[in-house]
Amino acid sequence: MIEAYKINYLAKGNYIINDIDFTCNEGEFIAILGPNGAGKSTFLSILADEIHEKGNKVLLKSCEYPKWCTKELPKHKAKFSQHHNGDIPLNVEDVVMMGRYPYFDHIPTEEDKSAVQQSMDCIDICPLQHREYNHLSGGEKQRVHLARVLSQLNNNVENKLLFLDEPLNNLDVLHQHRIMDIIKEFTSKGNTAIVVLHDLNLAAQYADKILLLEKGKKVIYDIPEQVLTQEIITKVYNFPCVVTKNPVSNNPLIIFGI
Amino acid sequence: MKTKLSFYAILLSIILIIIAVASIFIGVYKFEAGTFQTLYNILFTTQEINPSDHYVFFDVRLPRVLMAILTGAGLSLAGTTLQGMFKNPLASPDLIGITAGSVLFAAVTIVLGAHIKSLIPEAVHYSLLSIMSFVGAIMTMSFVYKMSTVAGKTNVSVLLLSGVAITSLTGAATGLLTYLSSDEELRNLTFWTLGSLAGATWTKVTILAVVVITSIAILINKGKALNAMMLGERDATHLGIPVERTKKLIVLLSALMVGTIVAFTGTIGFVGLIVPYILRLIFKSNYYFILPLSTLCGSILLLVADTISRTLVPPSEIPIGILTSIMGAPVFIAILIKFKKSL
Repeated sequence: MIEAYKINYLAKGNYIINDIDFTCNEGEFIAILGPNGAGKSTFLSILADEIHEKGNKVLLKSCEYPKWCTKELPKHKAKFSQHHNGDIPLNVEDVVMMGRYPYFDHIPTEEDKSAVQQSMDCIDICPLQHREYNHLSGGEKQRVHLARVLSQLNNNVENKLLFLDEPLNNLDVLHQHRIMDIIKEFTSKGNTAIVVLHDLNLAAQYADKILLLEKGKKVIYDIPEQVLTQEIITKVYNFPCVVTKNPVSNNPLIIFGI
Repeated sequence: MKTKLSFYAILLSIILIIIAVASIFIGVYKFEAGTFQTLYNILFTTQEINPSDHYVFFDVRLPRVLMAILTGAGLSLAGTTLQGMFKNPLASPDLIGITAGSVLFAAVTIVLGAHIKSLIPEAVHYSLLSIMSFVGAIMTMSFVYKMSTVAGKTNVSVLLLSGVAITSLTGAATGLLTYLSSDEELRNLTFWTLGSLAGATWTKVTILAVVVITSIAILINKGKALNAMMLGERDATHLGIPVERTKKLIVLLSALMVGTIVAFTGTIGFVGLIVPYILRLIFKSNYYFILPLSTLCGSILLLVADTISRTLVPPSEIPIGILTSIMGAPVFIAILIKFKKSL
């Protein structure tokens, strides 16, 4: 699905990302974890073709980004960014409709409109659709952009790729789990999601594989049971923790501060 | 959405045509056969109309009305696209110093170019003036953009303050040129600082029509791109919008329009600020609507202002720049009040 070799990123003489190789397959839900400043967002940006650096080689579906047709690419991959412009003087519906921009020239078709409705329904923002975006709270704005990204990938293309940078910020528990369920359902259809997260337990519960970063380097990239061990987590996060089994789901359960 | 936009576009076009026709017949000179008879004679018969009617209709008022329509459309389209690019409703060509930059180059051309003026034909002379204004406009535009924008994010205070800096620099230079210039050059320079459509000729109208109509044709369907750019440039790229290319087009074409317009009419301020402001009250910032409609509204605004400017104190004229500034300043203040917190 995506292959990245020898990824490096230098900013002002410091390695933000240092020599990371990464590959993932169709249908995988991958979480990127790590303490602050580990380079999670930067790495995601490189994978999503936002940052270009000489020598980095990233292939999406065995084809390098520059060789992709710019009109076709947005139908295969989408990205949800961590920071959003808080000032967009438009209605919520119009913002979500931007996700359909790759599909129509001037006038949205019926298909576009129903895709927008579907994703607003999915993310539970239908009651907001006629409100002005600028008047929403932080969490609501966050959900508007999630709906936009989902509507962008609502098509018949197989094996789509979704990048999400901390999608759960500002969200309450209900919506955190709702979003994770939506992503899980998305990956169960043969699509791939690469998600930067902070909550280790949510990652343990939902992710198929976890990439753990520390100071720009790859610590381990494996299934949750292998990554989320007391030894690794205590060392990387520099904070004592205990890992037990979640009594409900049998996933690893991390308890900090013991 | 489609029907809504075409409804507004048709409505505004009809209003524009009515005002244009009215404007031709309003003024100090009265047509001998009366308004409707003259119009009928010109449009539907081959009957000769009397020479003075003919002169006023074809050589004075018609080019002037066309000039007002083109100038209004060009200035307000430039304002709207710049606001989309800078993501701020205050970015209009005059406030960020682009008009001032092109006035400076026009002034230099007038004063220094006076020596070679007699050697070259009129069309070339105008083209030289507009080319120089364009150079001035695009230089200030790139300067202002580089000053105020870091990694795709514009600092609005720096944007407006660099406009102030450029305006005062060109004010000083224009002042110096005024001091050095001869009588005829002085009259030309004064005309620039006040702005007027009185010098409209068919040559100017033709050049302006080529520039403005080409720019409109290229920019009018950028509504989607400008909407997406409100998300941020990276997110717009993820939606398949060619951000860099769109920005280059906007810089180039708005400088071209502002430069040409300044060369022919002087500084007619605030049009690029007033028109998008009014449209935003109705359509929010949806560029799908405000981009095409701003050209029509700009034409209407400038045509009305020009008609008022030449009929208010007959037989003399109030410079149109004064009228648009009277309208523009309150709009400027209204936007400032609205954005007090976010600036």
